[in-house]
Amino acid sequence: MHQRPLKFSLLDYTLLALLLSAAGYITFRITVQLEYNWNWSVIPQYLFRYDQEQGRWVANYLVDGLITTLRLSLWSSLLAMVLGLFMVLARTSSSLFLQLVSRCYIELMRNLPPLVLIFICYFFLADQILPRLGLETLVAEGPEWLTGMVGWCFGQPSSLVPFCSALLTLAIFESAYVAEIFRSGIESVSRHQWEAAHALGLRRHQALIHVILPQAFRRVLPPLAGQLISLIKDSAIVSVISIQELTYQGTQLMASTYLTIEVWITIAAMYLLLTFPCSMAVGWLERRYRRRRV
Amino acid sequence: MEQPVMGGDDYIISAERLEKTYPGNLKALDDFTVRVKRGEVVVVVGPSGSGKSTFLRCLNGLEEIDSGSITVDGIPLDDREEHRLEIRREVGMVFQAFNLFPHMTVLENVNLAQQLVRRRSRSEATEFSLALLDKVGVSEKARVYPDALSGGQQQRVAIARALALMPKVMLFDEATSALDPEMIGEVLDVMRSLAGEGMTMVVVTHEMGFAREVSDRVVFMEQGRIVEEAATATFFTAPARKRTRDFLRQIL
Ligand SMILES: Nc1ncnc2c1ncn2[C@@H]1O[C@H](COP(=O)(O)OP(=O)(O)OP(=O)(O)O)[C@@H](O)[C@H]1O
Ligand SMILES: [Mg+2]
Repeated sequence: MHQRPLKFSLLDYTLLALLLSAAGYITFRITVQLEYNWNWSVIPQYLFRYDQEQGRWVANYLVDGLITTLRLSLWSSLLAMVLGLFMVLARTSSSLFLQLVSRCYIELMRNLPPLVLIFICYFFLADQILPRLGLETLVAEGPEWLTGMVGWCFGQPSSLVPFCSALLTLAIFESAYVAEIFRSGIESVSRHQWEAAHALGLRRHQALIHVILPQAFRRVLPPLAGQLISLIKDSAIVSVISIQELTYQGTQLMASTYLTIEVWITIAAMYLLLTFPCSMAVGWLERRYRRRRV
Repeated sequence: MEQPVMGGDDYIISAERLEKTYPGNLKALDDFTVRVKRGEVVVVVGPSGSGKSTFLRCLNGLEEIDSGSITVDGIPLDDREEHRLEIRREVGMVFQAFNLFPHMTVLENVNLAQQLVRRRSRSEATEFSLALLDKVGVSEKARVYPDALSGGQQQRVAIARALALMPKVMLFDEATSALDPEMIGEVLDVMRSLAGEGMTMVVVTHEMGFAREVSDRVVFMEQGRIVEEAATATFFTAPARKRTRDFLRQIL
């Protein structure tokens, strides 16, 4: 890839000057005339606080929220990939029934507002289904290593059921997009590869597993990673069902401190902390695969 | 594993009265009958679009025929998936575009079907693959990926891969057409030695020198029909039909 060096023309300079003066003016108005009492000093204590009993620093609301967001994104993206893979296998299978099922699933998920879906799934899952499974008692009464592991992976046992339903909802929602990405990957593998595999006497599923999917997967890695980044962003939506992730903690903190701007700027920075490294990784992957032309 | 020979003849391939029409097209195969004896090398020639590839692809079930019948080594190619798979095990195919699997090394390419289809262990498969790669002259490239090979080397790997199932018949669809001229010879050499070992081969090619030297019989087709079918010497020296003479004048 050759990059053209940036060249500035007179027009560019004019536009730049206009933009800079506009920005300068706004900054001036804000600093001089905005009636807002900045108070950044209280923010750090909501990140970490000193716990007297344990005698050490522990995560407070915001970092807790960050960790919950991280857990939520990680598990739901893994689950979304598994679900998405199943859906795309059904979508590309030779059975008309499976094709129809996955087609309906994918179209439904992609054409509903996520918020509506969250409410439907949440009240269905968290109110009706998950409690009957007795997950909480299972974890609470289970051996210590189980309780410990579940706690490490999914957070406090008390919020296990809402957390799991939020996780499932996000995964179900994202899996439709993941399935479409997988499908584009599978379709991008040349028909000749199928033929070569069939000519060698491989069955359909063998060709898929050994020949087509590995090639498809390499190609969809960048868009897939992009989708997972947007999952991190979309996870904010589960704050409406009181999952204590980053955005939810933000709304709570805002209500109790009235430090609207400070809180949300901090939260924006924390989201960036999660998503920006992922974006960098995606860019790196894209450059790498473009070079190798897999 | 010897299959009982059906009907007392020793044709390993019989393709009887094949008809094939692609959607929205003229007939790609039209009342097309070809039989191939064990050990015979048959060359199929014809102008572009005459249905040569279609014929080969029907022989191993990559393409469905509309009517007619195909029998390979006594196994009928019918609706039963098991028959189709069995035939594909007996028939190796080499494509114009090589179609190696780019995400696997050369060795893995040759191993794959042995392990999945013949259920050989990895070490058994590797041993056989290395012998095959040695035979086609690319054993020193066993551990590299296909994109690091020249076209000629890739096509020889593709031949080794097709041979890995120990097929009774090999199909070649313009195996040298995508190659730079200096690499055509090395691939033809491999094909020539296969023919010398008695492999049954159906070869679509524009290499008339090779056809003349190696084949037993030539089938000339046009618009899905056989124009002329003759023993190689007769075909090139005394073709019966005027259309054949015109065709030969064009390409020779
Ligand atoms: N998948 C397909 N769908 C529709 N039409 C096809 C398809 N494959 C081949 N055809 C048509 O069928 C006819 C025969 O094609 P085929 O590829 O068998 O010819 P060929 O003799 O191999 O030609 P070439 O020398 O160019 O490879 C052609 O008219 C072609 O356009
Ligand atoms: Mg062809």
